[in-house]
Amino acid sequence: MTDTATQSAAATGTAIDETYDVPADATAYTCSYCGRPFARESWLALHRGLAHPSELDDEEVEAFRAAHDEEEASLSAFRLQALGALVLIYFGFLMVYALV
Amino acid sequence: MARRHPGSYTGAKAQLPTMTSGRRRTVALVVCGLGWLAATGTASAHGGSLAGGGRESLTIPTWLFLSTGGAAVGASFLLASFVTDRAFVERIHDWGRPLSGDYERVLTLAGQLLGLAGLAAVFVVGFLGPTNARTNLAILLVWVGWWAGLAMTTYLVGNSWATLNPFKTLADLLPSLDRTYPARVGSWPAVGGLLVLVWVEVVSPLADQPRLLASVVAGYSVLTLAGALVFGPEDWFAHADPVERVFRYYGRFAPIGRGEDGLRLRLPGMDLSTPRLVDGPDEVAFVVALLWVTTYDGLVTTPAWRDLTTPLVDTGVPPHLLYPVALGIGFAGFLGVYQLAVRLSRDMSDTYLAPAVLAQRFAPPLIAIAVGYHFAHYLGYFLVLAPSLAVALTSPFADPAVVPTIELPDWFGAIALASVIIGHLVAIWVAHAAAYDLFPARLQAIRSQYPFIAVMVFYTMTSLWVVSQPEVALPHL
Repeated sequence: MTDTATQSAAATGTAIDETYDVPADATAYTCSYCGRPFARESWLALHRGLAHPSELDDEEVEAFRAAHDEEEASLSAFRLQALGALVLIYFGFLMVYALV
Repeated sequence: MARRHPGSYTGAKAQLPTMTSGRRRTVALVVCGLGWLAATGTASAHGGSLAGGGRESLTIPTWLFLSTGGAAVGASFLLASFVTDRAFVERIHDWGRPLSGDYERVLTLAGQLLGLAGLAAVFVVGFLGPTNARTNLAILLVWVGWWAGLAMTTYLVGNSWATLNPFKTLADLLPSLDRTYPARVGSWPAVGGLLVLVWVEVVSPLADQPRLLASVVAGYSVLTLAGALVFGPEDWFAHADPVERVFRYYGRFAPIGRGEDGLRLRLPGMDLSTPRLVDGPDEVAFVVALLWVTTYDGLVTTPAWRDLTTPLVDTGVPPHLLYPVALGIGFAGFLGVYQLAVRLSRDMSDTYLAPAVLAQRFAPPLIAIAVGYHFAHYLGYFLVLAPSLAVALTSPFADPAVVPTIELPDWFGAIALASVIIGHLVAIWVAHAAAYDLFPARLQAIRSQYPFIAVMVFYTMTSLWVVSQPEVALPHL
């Protein structure tokens, strides 16, 4: 009984360490509210806005806005690529079905 | 599993040629109907004029049939990636209505009594009833009523097995030694138990011999009750019992589920994106095992399996060793591919989350795929044999020469194919939502799905190939 109790206590104690796995030589931008590390600063800014919206100061809000705009731009580019892929699949199969 | 069941030797078997051609033809219909590849309409028109013919009369070659299925999965991933509104995704997954009320206690008692009556019927009729598999209530109740029918209601309505489970009812009545369940062991006994159950089901005539079935159920009862006696029913059924866990996972797909505040109505499949639904490597392994046994079950009756294993058996490999070894190797392979996809996903999304976190979060969507295959496999089987079950229920000890079955129409294969595809679609959507929840950047979330989608496309094509193969008798046994 005591054995399992210590075991489960140990498990909850190490839970934070086990959730994240940062390579030794990597730069990590760590969230000051929950301790989650990110590989890019803009991801940290987005995370703060999504996970801790009510706790941010003005500078962090501004960083979130900037990261969000940047994200919108890259999403538009991705949407175009995805649309291109869909058109390719559609017409590719159209032709294959016409030929077979 | 349909092969081992009485239905395979009556209605389902006779229908196989038309079903197979119907299935291949209708993949085009399904895909077309879902609005992605309208071009396939041409193919379905060709196929329609040849309805009723054998496999040879198909106008679509196998490779095209397979790649159409794969492309449908890939295209739906691209479509899901267009949904980038976080609030919209969360609203869909959080939608729900409370359902609880005072009627629950009455329903629980009725359910427990029904479960006990069912178990008693399996024992009494299994040991004493007619030996004909098509008329014996034990066989029909276990395979048609429980494993096909009840399992279908579990993911279509809600997990009633949690209440019906007669072993749990009995275990609650018995005293318990209340030894602490070893946390280290976790759910690995359930993983092993599932593989063993499927192995026994595949290699032994469990669906043909009522006496054997009743004996196996008796063995399972003794084992389960002993486990519950030692560790307490709660721990045993929460961790070690494979059957309870299969139904629990299927139930997570269902529109009715148990939340923190009692019963709740929700959208089908959307609960699968909940964090910590699958907790730990043992539970990930169980979900992967659930998917693998579905494939294994169909794989061992393909001509390719027979051709592949014949040289092995000729060189002296005992066939009784062949089946469990293949089951184990395949499971290890599936788990390996899943872990590989997790690692690739971690690299592609450039995240510092541990691989274990990703593995747990992206395992529940696989349940939707398993549900799709179960429905495809068992809906027809259930409908064909439901009248036989009804007759056996009214007169369990009679052994009529002719039992009623239902003839399924030709287009029925379309439902099976549609459910396979829909299972994949739900899985893609749920994984999409889970990724959005996990990653702050939306493009990062989309990238994290690339390896999983690649594996899923490959898995769809493999499964469609298995479905399109003619069923042969289990070789070497």
